[in-house]
Amino acid sequence: MILDIIVDQFSCTFQLIRAKWLPIPIKSMKRLLVPLFALGILLSACSPVADDGTGSIKIGYIGPLTGEAASYGKDTLNGAMLAVNEINEAGGINGRMIEIIAEDGRCTGTDAAGAAQKLVNVDKVIAIIGGQCSGETLAAAPIAEAAQVVMISPISSSPDVTVAGDFIFRDYPSDGLKTKAMAGYFKKEGINKIAAITENTDFAIAFRDALKENIGDALVFDEVVEPGTKDYRSLMARLKDEEFDAFFPNGQTPASMAAMMVQLREQGLTQLAISHDVAQDASMFEIAPEAVEGLLAIGVPAVDRDSDFGQKFLAEHGEAQGALFFAAQAYDAARLFADAIAEVGTEGAAIRDYLYAVDSFDGVVGPFGFDDNGDVTGISYVLWKASNGAFTQGEAVPVN
Amino acid sequence: MIQLILNGLIAGSLAALMAGGLALVYGVLGVFNMALGQMALIGGYCTWWLHQVLHLPLALSIVGGLTIAAFISWIAFEIFINPFYKRHRFLPLVTTIALSMILDGLILLFFEEKPRAIMPGLKHTFEVFGGRISVEQVALISFTVLLMMALAYVLHSTAFGRKIRAVVQHDHAAMSLGIRAPLLHRSIFIMSGVLAGLGGIYLGIDQNLTPVFAFPITIKAYAAIIAGGKGNIWGAIVCAYIIALLEQFVVGVHWFGAFYISAGYQQTVALLFIILFLLFRPQGLFSSKARSA
Repeated sequence: MILDIIVDQFSCTFQLIRAKWLPIPIKSMKRLLVPLFALGILLSACSPVADDGTGSIKIGYIGPLTGEAASYGKDTLNGAMLAVNEINEAGGINGRMIEIIAEDGRCTGTDAAGAAQKLVNVDKVIAIIGGQCSGETLAAAPIAEAAQVVMISPISSSPDVTVAGDFIFRDYPSDGLKTKAMAGYFKKEGINKIAAITENTDFAIAFRDALKENIGDALVFDEVVEPGTKDYRSLMARLKDEEFDAFFPNGQTPASMAAMMVQLREQGLTQLAISHDVAQDASMFEIAPEAVEGLLAIGVPAVDRDSDFGQKFLAEHGEAQGALFFAAQAYDAARLFADAIAEVGTEGAAIRDYLYAVDSFDGVVGPFGFDDNGDVTGISYVLWKASNGAFTQGEAVPVN
Repeated sequence: MIQLILNGLIAGSLAALMAGGLALVYGVLGVFNMALGQMALIGGYCTWWLHQVLHLPLALSIVGGLTIAAFISWIAFEIFINPFYKRHRFLPLVTTIALSMILDGLILLFFEEKPRAIMPGLKHTFEVFGGRISVEQVALISFTVLLMMALAYVLHSTAFGRKIRAVVQHDHAAMSLGIRAPLLHRSIFIMSGVLAGLGGIYLGIDQNLTPVFAFPITIKAYAAIIAGGKGNIWGAIVCAYIIALLEQFVVGVHWFGAFYISAGYQQTVALLFIILFLLFRPQGLFSSKARSA
């Protein structure tokens, strides 16, 4: 019995160390292991303890609370908090309050993995809302999967999330679908030559790969830059000699996308520009109002500002840092968890089965369900256009 | 081709501002300042705040931003550099890393994570010899060059400059001749902070400011001072331009008419070049023999 616990502690501590300290050599790892092993026993942090049915229900949150992508984090956390506050004010779930434990994933895999380890092993959360950036979700997924903790990602759209695990869900559609919709739009509009600049992050690379699969040779200019690059001028100089119909700024953050747009237009290139939902961020207009003008984006339909949710969010948190639908996605994820826990209790596998069975959840982003991979169903795409300092919703863009 | 050179001048001027100040500090104090990028961002963000939030005129905002940058540099010198750098030259390496993290936190706290532009929107571009450049960029480049020339004048033709050069060569000997080295050290550090602040303002006008941008610009400034020869301010400035031009040409040129180098390797190739170069000329491009002792 005692031995079992020790072995369990050991392997778990070791896992924790591996995830956090992988870059250090094995030799110094061993040296670290001994004190950490002792610490592990002291804290008995790792042994899986079932929820005892009392106290608050802990739900974890992972998202970029600092760094370039922090606007996603702020909005999604506020959205989730809004839902949780509503539920708690109404008496909680069977009398138990929900408590959100938020961890900063910084939009990177390493930080998100560390955050997931802490949430799963130390805080022992029932479920996790997150990650937000696809890189976060993909890194946190194996840890949540191993601990049988259900994760719903509000806004990760990388096609890789589809197969990230049995316990991994998302209420935002995969870019596998969005790139199909985009390819369809290009065909319809007679756009045959696309020039893309991609930031080297999990999300943007996966989007570019999926798009490439759909449009093939139509991608006439395809460059990948380091994350956070601000100087695209040498690439824009090359674009001047290139023949293309549309420019696709494939950035991870509004900061890099705005820089791309400014430098494109400064070179006198007037081609159409079309991108994905990263572009639909209020800060784009603050940095580059003229350059962003006319930019198209394929994304999900708007969340009505005058809706019950919209009014409440604006009253409590003010204007969204990025976009209101980020908050709506997280709000829906939190409410879905509350429904599941109220219905089937706090056990991970039961929550998972409940979610797979959801057919049409009445979310503020519209009714949705999940397919066999935990991907959302029922959400459609529309074309957004930047004009006069805001994005306005246009025609529907069908996937097929 | 012309476009690539123009691009190189734009990026190089930013790097030169950063590297110039860094080389001064390294040459005179022998201190590695790892918080340089953060000091640049503070200057840029404060200018943004004065101009975009308080709606002060741009010139006044820049002066304000630089004043704050100077003030922060002074505080930083007194707390993080002055007590340590005489004991061991590597101590400030650690203390300034701590400073950089503190400043990172403060930037996030005061200015939030959103990207900020001091002058949002498109710049007024025009064509020269087939390349495009904006009025603002021309102003920034010429201002940088003028500033560097002014620095040259101060260093080589004024009493203050002579004192600096004396301290660079041998600070104890200089002190015995009545030069107040500690005061000089302080003013040099503040000057480098102001130059870095100018770099931040440059960045905020030309592109946009984000809190995570500090480290990459610090690294580039270090590459320039190492390639330029230890503590040689001219070498650092020239190398800042050379590295920027290299980065542009690496990606922008159709090599041998056959292929382009992927943009992901832009920084790698430029730094690789520096390493290769140092293999053959380890003392740097413009090392001076005076300080070999």
